[in-house]
Amino acid sequence: MLETRAFEPEFLRKLDRLVLGIKRARTVRTGQRALGRVQGLGIEPENFKEYAPGDDLRFLDWNAFARLDELMLRTYRADRQVEVTALVDASASMGLPQRDDKLGLALAIGASLAYIGMADNDAVRIGAFAMHRGSMKLEATPFHRRRESYLNFKPFVTSVRAGGDTRLGAAVDELLLQRRPAGTIVVISDFLVNEIDIEDALKRLVAARHDVKVIHVMGEQESTAAYPPGLYRIRDAETGEVRETMLGPTTVAALRRKVEKMATRVREICTAHAIAYAQAFGAGNLETFMERELPLLGIVR
Amino acid sequence: MGFLNPNNFIYGLSLALLVLIYLRSRSRPTIEVSSLMLFDDAPAPVASVRNVRIDPLFWLEMLTLAALTFAIAGLYIMRPPSPGHGRSHALVFDLGAAMSAREGSGTRIDQARQQAKQIIDQAPIGDEFSVIGYALEAQVRHPQTANLVDLRKALDELVPMAVPARTTALRAALIRARGASVIDLFADRPPAPAILADAGSTSRVNFHLVGAGDLNLAIVSLDPGIPGSTRGRVVIRNFSARPHPAEFAIDLGDSEQFHQTMMLAPREQVVAFFGPLKTGGLLHARILTPDAIDADNSRYALAPSGRAAQVLVLSPDAAVRDDIARVLLAINANFQIVTADPAKYVAQSDAKPFDLVIMHDCYVPAVKAASTLFIYPPSAAKSPQGISVNGTLASADIRPDATDESPGLESLTLGATRVVAVPEWMDLIATATGPSHSSIPLAAIGRAAGGPVGVIAFDVRDHLLLAPDHLDALVLTVDMIKQLTAPRDILIVSTGADVSVPATATAKVTQPDGSIRTVTPDKWGRVRIRPMQAGRYTLESGGQTTQVLANYYDADESDLGAKPPPEASAPAEKAAAESSAQSARQAQPLVFILIALALLALLIESAMLIGHAGRWRMRHV
Repeated sequence: MLETRAFEPEFLRKLDRLVLGIKRARTVRTGQRALGRVQGLGIEPENFKEYAPGDDLRFLDWNAFARLDELMLRTYRADRQVEVTALVDASASMGLPQRDDKLGLALAIGASLAYIGMADNDAVRIGAFAMHRGSMKLEATPFHRRRESYLNFKPFVTSVRAGGDTRLGAAVDELLLQRRPAGTIVVISDFLVNEIDIEDALKRLVAARHDVKVIHVMGEQESTAAYPPGLYRIRDAETGEVRETMLGPTTVAALRRKVEKMATRVREICTAHAIAYAQAFGAGNLETFMERELPLLGIVR
Repeated sequence: MGFLNPNNFIYGLSLALLVLIYLRSRSRPTIEVSSLMLFDDAPAPVASVRNVRIDPLFWLEMLTLAALTFAIAGLYIMRPPSPGHGRSHALVFDLGAAMSAREGSGTRIDQARQQAKQIIDQAPIGDEFSVIGYALEAQVRHPQTANLVDLRKALDELVPMAVPARTTALRAALIRARGASVIDLFADRPPAPAILADAGSTSRVNFHLVGAGDLNLAIVSLDPGIPGSTRGRVVIRNFSARPHPAEFAIDLGDSEQFHQTMMLAPREQVVAFFGPLKTGGLLHARILTPDAIDADNSRYALAPSGRAAQVLVLSPDAAVRDDIARVLLAINANFQIVTADPAKYVAQSDAKPFDLVIMHDCYVPAVKAASTLFIYPPSAAKSPQGISVNGTLASADIRPDATDESPGLESLTLGATRVVAVPEWMDLIATATGPSHSSIPLAAIGRAAGGPVGVIAFDVRDHLLLAPDHLDALVLTVDMIKQLTAPRDILIVSTGADVSVPATATAKVTQPDGSIRTVTPDKWGRVRIRPMQAGRYTLESGGQTTQVLANYYDADESDLGAKPPPEASAPAEKAAAESSAQSARQAQPLVFILIALALLALLIESAMLIGHAGRWRMRHV
């Protein structure tokens, strides 16, 4: 139930001073261009340019023509905003261990980022994905821009339940099929999938010119292997596969090494593709993570 | 070893419950994890982990529950009887006709007698024996005794009868022998395994099969025909699996009428015709070839007299009169039949009495006749010859005789029937089932002062007698007419049948074997005998002599080679063997031992728990 924390006024007040760190230098053209520099949209004048045949005559600066006797075009900065999508993994693995409330942590982080994104009146939405019976189920809220409408996210956030398989690639496919303009996508997941699938999905998001940020969530018990020692029959929440194991100091150490190894690998993939990466291990660290970790990693400013 | 109350094994479920509790407590917890990928580097569990650890407390509890369950189920073991007690034996003998079959120097009953004497000789001192015989009925020939002299005498007095041995009689004999610890059954064919199994539940049963030969000839039937009219015939059957010559002769009175020798194929049945006879009289067919059983080598029949007997048929229904006349002529073509409507019939006082008068649905007392048959007697207030009519049924069934194992009368629905009350001097020939399943007299015959009287309660209208679906009704009527017109001094019956003979004083009965006994008549002036030997019985009473000629034939009993197939006889011997094996020893319940074992296990468990408590520094267990 950690996700409800993201709608508590006290917590939101702490987020008021944060701003989403979005690179506004991406454009559909080659080279670094600021977003929104599209001719003809917006009301804020930006520059002048000489008239060339074919330019829209509506933007001729007649005063300059009167003064200088030269045809000049006035350019404007567009009103277009960045679309921010917080994409939360809602597969069955996010629901375990139950006491870790990984899904609640992921939803709380996603909602918090949405709140932060609204500071610049950016269009923000929250989505959740999981593979159910062979088909990808990607659900997302409508875009909201103003913080007054932030509470519209609450019904969605509180309704998401863990279930199904983690298929990051399929979720990215589903997202790209929506053909939204390039924006910011924050992927929040435990990444308990094949690293090839992770890298492939993130690569395709980057290739679609999205500003991708990754937040890796893990439960505290899960990441520290805090299970009582003994002989156990363990069952995979997503595949149903059962394995017997003896939990003891050796196993716990191996488990921790494995978590660390997987986190390192995800970080390496993100680094390789210039993707901001942050770890949120443990649900008790939500406020610290939002206030300290994210600014340090540049995901928020 | 066995169980007295196997149903109580249901308490064995407590063992399963205990095992479930144990397994539940020992089962590995299952935890659901987000992904097994995290456990990829975890070492595999030790392969030698035991599913069921040796827990002494568990096994002690298992032992306690098992012992209690076995105790409740009544576990027992078989052990030899304790010495010092004389056992009781029952010697049961088949006394059917087949036991009289000659084989070698003796008969089958001699073989059985010899085996029984060996058993007696080998028995320890103090053992007691009883002798039981069975054929048509079971009879205790000698009660249980340790006096071996009396016992041997009783064995020597066993004589087979010229009747078949019935299964019901065998059952009755085994029931009477049930008190004995050992039953020795002597018979010439294995009984059904179920019978031995029933008897073996309480006693040890030893079955002794006697006899092996199959050579036997028998006269199946003898039909004298109609003197001067139709040929008679005799049916002879060879029960042997080999061809066998059969020399036989037929005597009429003292003169031989027919003599022939023929070769019968294995198990062949031939029909030999003779006559027609010139006169009526007593016909005697004999097989002269020696074979195993004598009783079925002789058969009597009564050839109807050539005298023109006068018969009067009275019936208000012309069709009935016609039907009865046809039946009468079929019985004896020499009958001179007068039919009349009773309403129009005027009896003449000076007329010669009829030999037989048949009155259907009427009663004309003025008719003089030597014998009378009432068919469907009238329900008038004045009853004929003491026969009263109590009511009328729309229909009635001829009830099959439950005691007769041979296929005889089948249940047959008749037409309208009158419920008659027959006087005590009449003997019931057939009964019917009424609406309340009560027994209703259907046909009876007796002898009144004026001569033989018969009554048939069912109606014979609508050509009931000639309908092919009602042959039993026709057979019943024909038999009745034959008995009523038979000579007074000669009766031909089957062995085992009850015979009622009129007698004015104590009758001297001379049996076929020459033995003589006296019989006192009852208050109705009848002497009742039951011929159990085939042949001629002579009753002398008050200067009158009556011949009772008993015929014997039973296809199953006379077939000496008709042993059950091996697969059928094996279960009988197996049942006897099992019964023998089980009953040779006595059952010893182990309840007390099992309860003691359970208590011991509980004590050990308590001691172990106290020990554990001491180690764990607990004051209470």
